[in-house]
Amino acid sequence: MSSKVSKWKTYRPVIALSILSMLVCGLAYPLLITGVSQAAFPYQANGSQVQLGGRVVGSYYIDNGFTLPIFFHGRNETNPLTASASGVDPDITLSDALSQVPRISNATGIPASSLDALVKAHERWTLWVTGDPYVNVLELNLALIAAYPSSYPGYA
Amino acid sequence: MIDVIQALAVIGILAAALVSGSLLAPYVVRVLTGAPTRLDRFLDPVEKRVYGLIGADPTVAMGWKQYFFAALLLNLAQMAIAFAILVAQGVLPLNPQGFPGLRWDLALNTVVSFATNTNLQHYAGEATLSYFSQMTAIQFLQFTSAATGVCVMAAMVRGFKPGSAHMGNFYVDFVRVLTRIILPLCILAALVLVALGVPQTIGGYVAVKTVEGATQTLLVGPVASLVAIMQIGTNGGGYFGANSAYPFQNPNPATDVLQIYLMLLIPTTLVFVFGEMIGKKKETRPILIGSYSLLAIDLVIGFLGSIPTVGPGIETRFGGFFSTFWTVITTAVTTGSVNASLSGINPLGILSAFMGMLIQATPGGKGVGVMYMIMYIVITVFVVGLMTGRTPEYLGVKINARDVKLVMVAFLVHPIAILVPTIAAYATKAVDAIPGFTSLPTSVGFTQVLYEFASSAANNGSDFFGAAANTPFFNLSTAAVIFVGRYVPIAILLALAGSMIGRKRVAEQSLRTDGAAFSVVLIGSILLLVVLAFLPFLMLGPLLTYFQGMVNFFG
Repeated sequence: MSSKVSKWKTYRPVIALSILSMLVCGLAYPLLITGVSQAAFPYQANGSQVQLGGRVVGSYYIDNGFTLPIFFHGRNETNPLTASASGVDPDITLSDALSQVPRISNATGIPASSLDALVKAHERWTLWVTGDPYVNVLELNLALIAAYPSSYPGYA
Repeated sequence: MIDVIQALAVIGILAAALVSGSLLAPYVVRVLTGAPTRLDRFLDPVEKRVYGLIGADPTVAMGWKQYFFAALLLNLAQMAIAFAILVAQGVLPLNPQGFPGLRWDLALNTVVSFATNTNLQHYAGEATLSYFSQMTAIQFLQFTSAATGVCVMAAMVRGFKPGSAHMGNFYVDFVRVLTRIILPLCILAALVLVALGVPQTIGGYVAVKTVEGATQTLLVGPVASLVAIMQIGTNGGGYFGANSAYPFQNPNPATDVLQIYLMLLIPTTLVFVFGEMIGKKKETRPILIGSYSLLAIDLVIGFLGSIPTVGPGIETRFGGFFSTFWTVITTAVTTGSVNASLSGINPLGILSAFMGMLIQATPGGKGVGVMYMIMYIVITVFVVGLMTGRTPEYLGVKINARDVKLVMVAFLVHPIAILVPTIAAYATKAVDAIPGFTSLPTSVGFTQVLYEFASSAANNGSDFFGAAANTPFFNLSTAAVIFVGRYVPIAILLALAGSMIGRKRVAEQSLRTDGAAFSVVLIGSILLLVVLAFLPFLMLGPLLTYFQGMVNFFG
């Protein structure tokens, strides 16, 4: 009997602290962060969802899978030689975007110089103000639709 | 090579980690020594209730064996809880995607991996784990393994501290480290991450129609809370299979820089904690100079080759520079998170990653990095003592034959735990079960297998294979390597520290360990030890790949 009591005395802290730490770190903490985030940053907390014409069309941070010639395309994620690590890279390099301008200009009739300017206006950098330039494909295409609604009937 | 602005970015992030680490260290020491802190008013009553609830007497002073077994048993019990949750996932709540329970060998690998701060992942979280599992199995173990690391380091330091009578109380250390250091930091970091764009919801994946009308699923979940602890706790296991390359885990350059900083923060802090806690601030010097010089060497090796351009395995928003920088740092602190596919990194970057995992003290994982550095110091003191004919002493204690035997065994665990299973994986043809492995060039395949076990033994967790290594052989062999690589060195080093208690201390050492000269010798002996143990294997792996000119041909 006494050995049973002493065993329980040894194992009780182990078992109780395991359960308690699971409840605090595994439930209370993430639920607290979820609650505060949903209240304070609902846009970011739900995946930075982007709308077009009142409808959610995707996330700012996830490749939207553009394939039509009238749009800028993301990285060709089905080709292992060009695919990113995530498979859903939302961005393309500035040179990639500029190389697509002639195709879009052909398909829509928008002057290439205007498209170049639009790309430049949405340029970002890997080191904030310097580093490698890139653009967010969904942001760029939505700006394109907004700037030239007559070229994108049915989208605006 | 990198340009001036990139070099400044590297120096800036390292400097930020060093400055904030030195500022945070006195607070961490107060927490570990039970000195008053500002959080006492709220946390003292909570703590008292916790000790009452769990039935632990906070005044009990433990020897090294008691301390170690309390830590080991607690970790085992936590593994058991997480294992049950993972296999029963299908019938548990918060599973909007309806994922089934995990196969037992994958569940075992996962809980051993996470409870030991390794975070090797043979699954892709977004397609395997429910919200409940991500929170109550993964995030839970990420906290407890990080806290355990800080605790065992604190115990080791107490053993070495002149005048100590015991190693402390594990339960008190564990509760205080969690509630006063790790949880507050994570709450702060998680909210900043959400503000910067990392999702945090339990509302289920979101199905949308894209601009062109195709269906797409947005894989949102409680991501930010996990990312905070995975980086602060040097855990590294991600919410997504692609880890911090996945945009929801690391959406932009700002979150990228923040995550690099967060993984450096605590390991750097603990380097300063050592000197403060031991009562001789100068003794932090060899550890600080040693770990950061070796990190600088790692960075030079990593950036020596060509920086990859945005191509296979590299995310556009980070580019080749931040991808390589991250890869070096994440192995230097044995975090193991990635922001690129390792297949996109130059072989010299991979060599640098190996250096971090083989040395384990640059500055290494949470708590254990400092422990390994003390191990290297004891070896160096002994060797220098032999060479100069002086008595080997550290912190005033004469290093005897038993001490040297202990540290040598602790050191040798690492090469044995890495090299034996690497050979076994080939001998049993287990490697052939990995999809696409047989079509890899030999040196590339060898690099990937060696990396898998080096990452396991170092409790790092980054890997080439990911879910491709979800085979019974790799699940069970890496689980065993992880377990040995974590607990055997900790037990030996705690035994070493425990044997320091009550030993005679000299006031003035004949060989000073707090000067620049000793730091240089220390760095040399660390490199020599690691090179002696691993160079032939590194030659057959990343170096051969590099010399064959197969730059960027790792996948």
